[in-house]
Amino acid sequence: MLATHLPRLILGALLGGFLALIYGWLIRPVEYVDTTPDSLRIDFRTDYVLMVAESYSADQDLDLAQFRLAALGPLAPDEYATDAIDYSLEQSFSRTDLEHLNHLAIALRALPQPGEIQAP
Amino acid sequence: MSRSGWFPFLIGIGLGLAGGLYYAWLINPVEYTDTAPDSLRADFRSDYLALIASAYAATDDLVRARTRLALFSGLEPSTELAALAQQRLALGSGFGEGEAAALAQLAADLANQRRSPASTATRGPSTASTLVPTPLPSSTPRPTPTPGAPFSLASQEQVCNPLLAAPLIQVEVSDAAEGGVPGVEIVVVWDAGQDHFFTGLKPELGQGYADFTMTEGVSYTLRLADSGQLVTDLSTHPCEQPDGTPYLGSWLIHFQQTP
Repeated sequence: MLATHLPRLILGALLGGFLALIYGWLIRPVEYVDTTPDSLRIDFRTDYVLMVAESYSADQDLDLAQFRLAALGPLAPDEYATDAIDYSLEQSFSRTDLEHLNHLAIALRALPQPGEIQAP
Repeated sequence: MSRSGWFPFLIGIGLGLAGGLYYAWLINPVEYTDTAPDSLRADFRSDYLALIASAYAATDDLVRARTRLALFSGLEPSTELAALAQQRLALGSGFGEGEAAALAQLAADLANQRRSPASTATRGPSTASTLVPTPLPSSTPRPTPTPGAPFSLASQEQVCNPLLAAPLIQVEVSDAAEGGVPGVEIVVVWDAGQDHFFTGLKPELGQGYADFTMTEGVSYTLRLADSGQLVTDLSTHPCEQPDGTPYLGSWLIHFQQTP
């Protein structure tokens, strides 16, 4: 009995899987909507950090810079600045851009790290 | 194929669909990576636009700001940024005020299609969609107030305009060359409270224009945030349409930068 029906069962399963892929990839593919900044591509993420750095260069508001960088994910803000500097160096960003990023990274690194005990 | 022959086939299709969806939704669900700003959720999109404006306020690089705004399809920059500025201003505290001013400034500059002063050959991210073209030099001075060049009251007049839906305090702020100045903060105070607003939020009415709706019977005092000069006793006044219908009149206040 099973030997009789097994080929049809397998054929049906293959056809079902094929139809699911056609539906998922062609008829109704994934649309990226309502995403968050932490999913941004590296170049967009770097530009985001650069905008934060540019803004920080004018207002010197480190709280605001940290608040904005927090949207990029759970890492420490200075790590995002470091990543942005790395990418900027790879892509030969301008000296001005690198200076903005560097100033931001320095300011963020100067902040006490979590669990760090401040000297009296 | 007999009826009994179709049955295992249909069972197989069902199993295949179920297996495919189980794999796609539970074992290996979609992860959003490498997305573009255009796909951001509405609140993050607003934050991103505010960040573009803040960066523009810091760098004065309008070409770069426009390039960044171009990442958002279907965006009407000057309109949407002006509306966003008003939303941020409504927040009333925290980071909202600075961002509101920056958004108003960018909205006004975009409406005026000003080119930013030249900067060095800066460039943004490397992809084609985000490449920032080399800004073009421009000698156009930025019409923003500068320290040591205060604004003073140039004129103050009552206005009877039946086209206005409500009685307004209309403020125009201009530089020494009569050009409208956006992003100027205006403070209005009355006996029960105070509010502040910025020029440039309605770029269609001029870069240096701002208005505030008055309530009948309330007397307002107005000043520019960076100026000590007060304009007092601003209140609604009676006006009449040609057919005799009464309505409430407005004020037009003009500040100009001292040469």
